[in-house]
Amino acid sequence: MFLTLHENDKRPIYQQITDGIKALIAGGGLREGMTLPSVRQVAGDLGVNLNTVAVAYRQLQDEGFVTVRHGAGAVISSRSARPVEQAELYKPLRTALTQLVLSGLTDREIVGAVREELALLQMKGGTR
Amino acid sequence: MSAPSVVGVFIFTICLLVPVLTYALVKYFWNKPLQNGPGYFLGVEVPAGFYEGPGRGWMAGYHATVASLYTVWAVALGAIVITRRWEMTPMWAGGFALLFVPTMLGFQAWTRHKLGVTPPVRPVALALESRRLGDYISWPLEALMVAVVGFSWWLLLRHAGAHFDWLTPLQLTWVALGLIPGKIVVVRSSSPLPTERTEEHYRYQDAERRNWLRAWGAFGWFFVVILLGLALGMALMRARSASRMVPGLEWLILGIAFAVWGYQVLVYYRGSRQLASMARDLRPAGSWRTPFRRASWMGMSRPYLIWGTIWCGGIFAFILYPLCKARF
Repeated sequence: MFLTLHENDKRPIYQQITDGIKALIAGGGLREGMTLPSVRQVAGDLGVNLNTVAVAYRQLQDEGFVTVRHGAGAVISSRSARPVEQAELYKPLRTALTQLVLSGLTDREIVGAVREELALLQMKGGTR
Repeated sequence: MSAPSVVGVFIFTICLLVPVLTYALVKYFWNKPLQNGPGYFLGVEVPAGFYEGPGRGWMAGYHATVASLYTVWAVALGAIVITRRWEMTPMWAGGFALLFVPTMLGFQAWTRHKLGVTPPVRPVALALESRRLGDYISWPLEALMVAVVGFSWWLLLRHAGAHFDWLTPLQLTWVALGLIPGKIVVVRSSSPLPTERTEEHYRYQDAERRNWLRAWGAFGWFFVVILLGLALGMALMRARSASRMVPGLEWLILGIAFAVWGYQVLVYYRGSRQLASMARDLRPAGSWRTPFRRASWMGMSRPYLIWGTIWCGGIFAFILYPLCKARF
């Protein structure tokens, strides 16, 4: 299971790690009970500061995607264990849809793009 | 059965080293610059057509360097055989290592300085698989090694006389036990993974890690066997009030030590062959840098370099100490 980090990505490194892990969970590549590598290992492999990775893991923990168990490290939580309100969940989707509509795409094109992205996400996770 | 003579052991060592190093020259060293394919020279990315242009000169320089080193090695061996000064064998073997390793590292550093000053920046992949020490290092085996070393020291402290040369067991202990932190560093270190053919690069790195650990494991046991033999010999000598070791024990220890050494060589070369075939067209570590990490020389991490410096420095200190002591 691999994450890709690009040199021209505007997001901070911790955000790239967080988003990448979330995408893998969403795609089914990272399943409940799987253990993530230690903060030290990730920091060493990437050549970034320990704190950067720790922030990413803390964010995943705060959002309920991972559980940090003493001695076992960061373990992927159950997908249903995340109580997120629907309104909160749809907020980024609404923002993205607004941008797509404003950019002049038709409904059909937007639905097609969403389907394409969803398929890509599932392919990355290895569920297809 | 008589005890093995020192000369016999030296001749046997030469007979072992000559085919091994000749094989290494033919199979590994001679074409090392091309081990990653024609797109690279000693792991440094080179432009297309390099080997039809300036690459010829670089290749000729490399071959001249290797040929000179092996010529010195062969001439020194010839001198030992002709003059029958077999006691010079350790100097010949150790001297070659001391000459060969820094020269080759120097050549690689020069190559990197001249051809790979600004390695390209590329996106990096991160493996989300945990590397636990226990998956790579057998702790019971390491504990056994420490216990054997401890037992040997217990025997030596009890039975070695006042005139015993403590430098030899210290050297053997340093070499064997000093590899344990090195193994931990090897497991923890990794080179950046490129985003193309990531799985293959990951498998290559893992195979490389396991190859080093296997070879180092056998290397450590080689010295532990010698240390144990020395300690047992001392203890038995004391028990029999004799001035020489038990002949059978000397043969046994030598046999085991050479068997372990042979196993180490076999593991190393088999692993190297497998790695060479795996790495044939993979992007070598150190030929590119990530957005967050600069290209490390030969893919070595900082902890690895620190450990290597301390461990090798210790070995050099043990070699130099008696020389300095005798001189001043």
